[in-house]
Amino acid sequence: MKSAAFDYVKPAAMAELFELLQSHGDDARILAGGQTLLATLNMRLSEPKLVIDITGLQELRGIHQVGDRLYIGALTTHTEIENSALVSQHAPMLTMAAPHIAHRAIRNSGTWGGSIAYGDPAAEWPCCLCAMDGHVHLQSPNGSRKISATDFFIDLYTTALAPDEVVVGADVPLASQADWFAFDELARRHGDYAVAGLAVAASFTGKVAQRVNLAFLGIGTIPWRARRTEALLVGKTLDLATVEIAVASLKAELDPLPDLTHTPETKRHLATVLARRLLSAAHANRSAIAV
Amino acid sequence: MELTGEVVINAARTRVWIALNDPAVLTACIPGCEAVEQVGPLEKTARMLVKVGPVRAKFSGRILMSDVVESERCAMTFEGSGGAAGMARGRSQVELSDEGESTRLHYTVQASVAGKLGLVGGRMIDGAAKQMADQFFNAFQLHLAPAQPDADKLPTESKAPGAAQVQPLVTHSRSEDMTVAGATVTQQPTSKLTDDMEWLRVKWFAMGVLATAIGVWLGAQL
Repeated sequence: MKSAAFDYVKPAAMAELFELLQSHGDDARILAGGQTLLATLNMRLSEPKLVIDITGLQELRGIHQVGDRLYIGALTTHTEIENSALVSQHAPMLTMAAPHIAHRAIRNSGTWGGSIAYGDPAAEWPCCLCAMDGHVHLQSPNGSRKISATDFFIDLYTTALAPDEVVVGADVPLASQADWFAFDELARRHGDYAVAGLAVAASFTGKVAQRVNLAFLGIGTIPWRARRTEALLVGKTLDLATVEIAVASLKAELDPLPDLTHTPETKRHLATVLARRLLSAAHANRSAIAV
Repeated sequence: MELTGEVVINAARTRVWIALNDPAVLTACIPGCEAVEQVGPLEKTARMLVKVGPVRAKFSGRILMSDVVESERCAMTFEGSGGAAGMARGRSQVELSDEGESTRLHYTVQASVAGKLGLVGGRMIDGAAKQMADQFFNAFQLHLAPAQPDADKLPTESKAPGAAQVQPLVTHSRSEDMTVAGATVTQQPTSKLTDDMEWLRVKWFAMGVLATAIGVWLGAQL
């Protein structure tokens, strides 16, 4: 199936993009990597009058270290993040998560900013950003602003993005020696939308956890930070008994939305399977370092 | 897909019933609703633009009501078609009960989707349905709340004494809502006789609208 007819514009400057957005409003869609938008158009689930191709805007590309944060431009592809030495050094969680994003062909085209602006509850990047306390950078004709990822994702496919704003990039804190990250997800086949996924961003003093951020994907309408369980783990040694306490706490805390094939109970169970795996790995890692 | 929910609405049961059956109120409160039309005494059609994530699909739906008990409950079956996007059909029950001076509205929806919507949206149908329901009831609350100052001015109103007492402080904002909701309320207090007549008529109307509303969510959930 092919999409309905639409006009296509490829602006060469941000100013031009904002002008188009202002004059066309909701009739215009922004095209970045096109891995969600083009499928939606071809299935005629959406018929915008205008598609604005932003791939000509060079200022939206690139990965840079800015102070104590790692900034990734919106048009950076999943593959570029996966292969970036800068990312694997400073934000290893992203390197771990990238291979889980769909398939190679999609990773070659799909973008960081596209995934963030779309805000799919099963997407990897929004979940990683929420786990790492990342910031989303937005720009509008009135200027730029930064918003914490946990405030950016509001509801199912609903973000804090204003109609005249675009996502220009997002940053995460640079990883230090004390940090430990993990990412894993469960899907029926590799590359499918995950049934459940978990990103862990922890920091330790010796074997004692100072911070254990747990962000689940595929569970709620937005990345789900398990704040109660996180609070429970602060100041604890992550031994196997503590891991079981965390799992029990997650069982009570998580209230997953079902999908057509998985009940909330299934999802809750799978989420705790991931939690047990990743937290046990954290324990093993810290024990090895301490020895 | 199965969705069950309960909301407490800050108004007397009879007012909630009337509002739920007022196509003007429904059109204003249902996210993306373009029109609600009466086709037969128990049958309505509705058109809406569903916006969930990347999906912008126009849906038209048909709602058929049954088991209508005025101000208490009704059941409806609905069918919505989104053209190339797919279709949805299902059944819903709505029940009203008193909760102090407010009204408790309990609803259940069982629905299935077919076509590309099922393929693409199946993963998120429950989330989308909840989102639509929340948006509807938030707007519905807002509609009823600003109408209350109007109700205050009408001491003869015997049908909904609760309404006059409930939160007369909510005078704020939303002038468009005020006019629509105000218009709705002024229907009932005229006189008790016409009131009863009106009730009969309104009851069927209301059921239809409710049904439409639910149909619209269904469409929307996709």
